[in-house]
Amino acid sequence: MSAWTLCIDFGTAFSKAAAAPSDLRFDPANVRPLQLNPQPSGNPFLLDSAVFVDDARILFGRSALDRASSMAGRKRVALQSFKTLLSAADLERALDIKAPLSIDPHRAFCMRDLIVLYLAYLLAAIERARAADACIPARINLRYAAPAWQGGDSDALHAVVAGLFGEAEALRMRLGDALLADEGIDLALAATALPRAADEARPRAMGLIHEAAAAAAYTSIGLDESGSHLIVVDMGAGTTDMAVLMRADHQMHELADARVTFNQAGDFLDRLIADRALKSASWAKSTAQKTALWGDLMRAMPDLKAAMFAEGRASRRYERRLINVSLRDIERDQDFKAFLKELQAAYAHCVAVARGDALLRENASIEAVAVGGGAGAPFIQELISGATKRGPRVTPRPATPGWAHSEVFGGNLAPVFPQLAIAIGGALAPDNMLAAGGAA
Amino acid sequence: MPAKKKSVKRTNASAMGKKGAARKRAAPKASLANALAEAAWADADKALAEALIELDEFENARNEKAREAALTLLAQALAQTARKRGLTRIGMLGAQEAFDPQRHEPPPRAKSAKSVRIAARGVARGAEVLARARTEAPRRRSPR
Repeated sequence: MSAWTLCIDFGTAFSKAAAAPSDLRFDPANVRPLQLNPQPSGNPFLLDSAVFVDDARILFGRSALDRASSMAGRKRVALQSFKTLLSAADLERALDIKAPLSIDPHRAFCMRDLIVLYLAYLLAAIERARAADACIPARINLRYAAPAWQGGDSDALHAVVAGLFGEAEALRMRLGDALLADEGIDLALAATALPRAADEARPRAMGLIHEAAAAAAYTSIGLDESGSHLIVVDMGAGTTDMAVLMRADHQMHELADARVTFNQAGDFLDRLIADRALKSASWAKSTAQKTALWGDLMRAMPDLKAAMFAEGRASRRYERRLINVSLRDIERDQDFKAFLKELQAAYAHCVAVARGDALLRENASIEAVAVGGGAGAPFIQELISGATKRGPRVTPRPATPGWAHSEVFGGNLAPVFPQLAIAIGGALAPDNMLAAGGAA
Repeated sequence: MPAKKKSVKRTNASAMGKKGAARKRAAPKASLANALAEAAWADADKALAEALIELDEFENARNEKAREAALTLLAQALAQTARKRGLTRIGMLGAQEAFDPQRHEPPPRAKSAKSVRIAARGVARGAEVLARARTEAPRRRSPR
């Protein structure tokens, strides 16, 4: 039986996982996104990244978000955005901090506990999905994808994360399928099991793959020829990252000089769009009206942003009124202008680094790909499609690779590919593209 | 049906075992395809539902402003549905292109066409053309 690799992608809102054989010639039919979400409605591949500490129970995923939503009036929230926490400069210290009262009113858990609980739930969901797919063997190499934060120490981050996964696996063995119950698990049981799991835990043998490397893997795999250099522009929710990867001797290396990370990304655009819409709604005068409208816009933001990226404008009906926002409005914003200027300068720097390295090699060619939720933004596409004045040409590649349109998926992978891309790329990438760790 | 009976007759325990195993292996692939379709349709369904509601708003609009608002939102919801299903448009409205029978319907009443003007964009999914663009004869340039 061939060896398989499974990659977990902690998105800001959802966790995703995909598996693929490591030692077979690429075949789209062997790319297996995991159905982590058993809920009858919603996307079966997206598991809500959320933990909610209730009065006597701990809830996960969709149940956690629903319960948090029902208790929003009592200033109770679910813990989300694990990715943001993992980007903390001093991760160990961040994990030891007590969860705020809004998340844990009992003051029983630190952030590490809640992340271990969520990871145990995620591992249980992965095991259930894996067991339901007869193509995926039981023994499988495990990886997770993370951004390569500038100045971040991949080995140090990986040691901490592998430790968390080790504790989570021990906890999963203790609590079993109870973790997957809609009603969650008993709070006292969790509080007792956590320290025992920590004692029993061994760091999990797994690999860390940077998101840019995962993007390079799904972009270039299956192609007979692909560029020797790949510029990856990744606009997620919290950060926009740029990286240059260079392929040599069937290995992928990152040109560290090129890496840039911005703290402005999808969330920044959301705020600009909502702010602009709010300004155009002159009838919303009171704070209550403005707060309600802001909340409505934020809930509709993924659709508004998609419409704006595709059509240049977006509209929203709110209390029988029509609110219009255009991309041109956003482009006039001073903060956006400053962000775009920095983005263009950073991309020019990436091109210069890629070109400098390409000139030293024979038959070098440079490609660029945009990934993440912002990949479809016109200003991102313009960035990677921009004509270059001299040196090797930069060829833009589509955000969704050609193989995702393969007939084996019945035309249905391509529409959801952007959401699953990093997990799939992480599963497809060879071991030599790992930033830390390795196969089990 | 005779053919079916024949195949049942040939089946022995060993063949059943092999077929059973094959079915077991094949089943998740079908289920993955279904789940992908479900995922792709889940968001598209929401957008389509919005489009249907806006269609009612359009038909019941009491004035031109309300009608225009409903049409704007109907168009946005339909475009959203198409994006969620991975559909793309072919050509640009009003653009003049070399006639390609794979991508363009011939202009009405034209015996042959070398170039055409896009009157309504076509629709594709990946490389597959689902509906060709409707075209008309290119407009003659006005004399200077």
